[in-house]
Amino acid sequence: MKKVQFKSYYSQYFFLAPQLLILLIFLYWPIIQTFKDAFTMQDAFGFGSQFAGFDNFLFVFSDPSYFTAFKFTIIYSFVITLITGSIGLLLAVQANKVLHGKNVYKTLLIWPYAIAPAVVGVMANYFFSERYGLLHHLFNNLWGFNWYEDVFDAYIYVIIAGSWKQISANFIFFLAGLQAIQKTIIEASIIDCKSNIRRFWTITFPLLMPTTFFLIIINITYAFFDTFGIIDTTTIGAPGSETKTLVYKAYIDGFKGLDLGSAGAQSIMMMIIVLFITIFQFRYIEGKIHYN
Amino acid sequence: MKKLISILVLLVSFAFTSNSYSKTEIHWWYGNSGFLGDVIIEIANRFNDSQDEYVVIPTGKGSYEDNMAATIAAFRAGDQPHYSQVYDAGAAIMVAQVKNGVVIGFEEMAEKYGIDVDADNYIPGIKNFYADGDGKMIGVPFNSSTCLMYANMDILNEVGIEEVPKTYEEFEGMAQKILDAGYIPLLQSHSPWIWTENFFSRHNLLMTDGNNGYDDVPTTTLFADTEAFVYHWTKVKEWYEKGYYGYKGRAWGDNQAPFTNGEAAFWFGSAASFGGMKGVLPNFTTNPIPYWDSVTGGKEYPTFIGGAANWILNGHTEEEYKGLAKFIEFMGSPEMDLYYHNMTGYAAVTKGGIELAETINFYRASPYHKAVGDQLGLEGSTIPGGYRAGNWPQIREVIYENVEPMLNGDISVEKALGNMDKGAAKLLKQFAKTL
Repeated sequence: MKKVQFKSYYSQYFFLAPQLLILLIFLYWPIIQTFKDAFTMQDAFGFGSQFAGFDNFLFVFSDPSYFTAFKFTIIYSFVITLITGSIGLLLAVQANKVLHGKNVYKTLLIWPYAIAPAVVGVMANYFFSERYGLLHHLFNNLWGFNWYEDVFDAYIYVIIAGSWKQISANFIFFLAGLQAIQKTIIEASIIDCKSNIRRFWTITFPLLMPTTFFLIIINITYAFFDTFGIIDTTTIGAPGSETKTLVYKAYIDGFKGLDLGSAGAQSIMMMIIVLFITIFQFRYIEGKIHYN
Repeated sequence: MKKLISILVLLVSFAFTSNSYSKTEIHWWYGNSGFLGDVIIEIANRFNDSQDEYVVIPTGKGSYEDNMAATIAAFRAGDQPHYSQVYDAGAAIMVAQVKNGVVIGFEEMAEKYGIDVDADNYIPGIKNFYADGDGKMIGVPFNSSTCLMYANMDILNEVGIEEVPKTYEEFEGMAQKILDAGYIPLLQSHSPWIWTENFFSRHNLLMTDGNNGYDDVPTTTLFADTEAFVYHWTKVKEWYEKGYYGYKGRAWGDNQAPFTNGEAAFWFGSAASFGGMKGVLPNFTTNPIPYWDSVTGGKEYPTFIGGAANWILNGHTEEEYKGLAKFIEFMGSPEMDLYYHNMTGYAAVTKGGIELAETINFYRASPYHKAVGDQLGLEGSTIPGGYRAGNWPQIREVIYENVEPMLNGDISVEKALGNMDKGAAKLLKQFAKTL
């Protein structure tokens, strides 16, 4: 292959410029703006702007519903990661075994991934509608389901709505991971051990660890940020503020409540939380993973 | 052939652009959707057809909250519309923006550009709601509703109730009968608006300190300190447990649907709600919202105006404001006022509109429209006709957040109302800092 090199020193900047411009406008500018908002007190139209120090942060910390949102976000991301990861893995293992019509299964299981979260929320809305919702009726017959005021029931609602689509993402990556495992290793293990389950946990699963680690990060990020549309189209944070995620709360306070100072402070808090989670993951979990 | 088509496309697009550029454009943003949004477009069309100089371009931005957020974002970006519909809970924020030069008050506009509609032409309750501390009208009253009680007369006939309840005591007396017949006795669609703000107005009680914010910037709400309010919610909770009152979440429509489907006897909603019910529910009436006889001693007081007003935004040319003045004049005419009242069920907001309705015997033909004017026109209130409290959209959120755990028994009524006060006080103080 021939190496292509630019002679001019400037042309590389020329080609980089569009990408850098996009980063500047859509990433760095909003971040700077967020910091500005977080440390100023201003009215909705941006008047009366004055430096507020940590007032906005204190305001957020003195709000009990912020901690409710924090608690919910942690529970939500944990449960979603667990559910989508395990169901995605189960489906991938089963689909990998199928001999006939493999592609049909694959395609059908991947489809939900293409649906926008807000649309998923609207569909979940139908399933959990008190008037004609299938799942609502099923759960109602089991234990008297009422997500309008019961926190546990509302959790079930948003967890099912939030998991469904993400199962597909997990499925795709696990399936790809399974197919990347060398046949020879599997064949060798069949000779040594005839228990399917044991073989899976001692050979296949450890080989899938890099994929699993990647998916844990993706799932947590998804539950943190991408479920916004689902919450907004299902429970809108009710009952109380029990099903508000941190992102959703920042949105409500910033855009519905028109308090950009508080929303800015919440965004910065979120950045710090995500930073800590990521550091934790890379330091303590990644060390235990072997990339071949 | 390809060339020909592209030339044609070019010509057609030129024809369109030149057409709209020859007229002065006035942008009007609104926060209604569905049928109410269609009526707004129809109003703009009628104005556009009535003259050739100006063209009003209405743009729907979603809900009231969405439109307010969009208007603010547009203003911050220097791209604001001329005219924008902002709802009751945002009124304090908009009135406070006159001094910053964001909003042009109606009276200033009328004086400068000669609008042939006087502020006094709007009925007093509505005018005061959108006025500043000196009584000068800032917002231009538009869709003015209030909460009303809808009654399904077929259900009432079936269980043998002849009179629609006037008081909550009367309702309580008949609820068991309705429940026994297999219907939900009562639903309502907006806890902060109907059972908080308008609970206070209906019983002539102050909701915040500073005389509802009309005398001083309010620092706290008076929820837990108002005995009648504590009593009301204690009763509501009791009703909820007995099944007299059914809570279907925060969505307006989810609470309305069982009533529209003939499963509930009473529903509290907006004066503008009956549009979707006509032709679906065969036999229903609109009535004033009940009150506690034990609280008011048999007296009835008017509720606050709900809905929204249109606000004139600064930063446009003289010529455009002239056009907007013409449009405001057009919308304030008795014919348009009555047209809007008739189409939507919102109250007639001008004296001319009300007179016209009487002259043509409008209410005999359409009794649904009457209750809103009756309830808003009540006299004898000693509290201001509104509340001037900032951050109110968030305070409504705080109210919702505490109603639900109260109903499911996680926290007591006193605790819930105390939490509301605490949350509201924090938000009111936060707002005061930005003034």
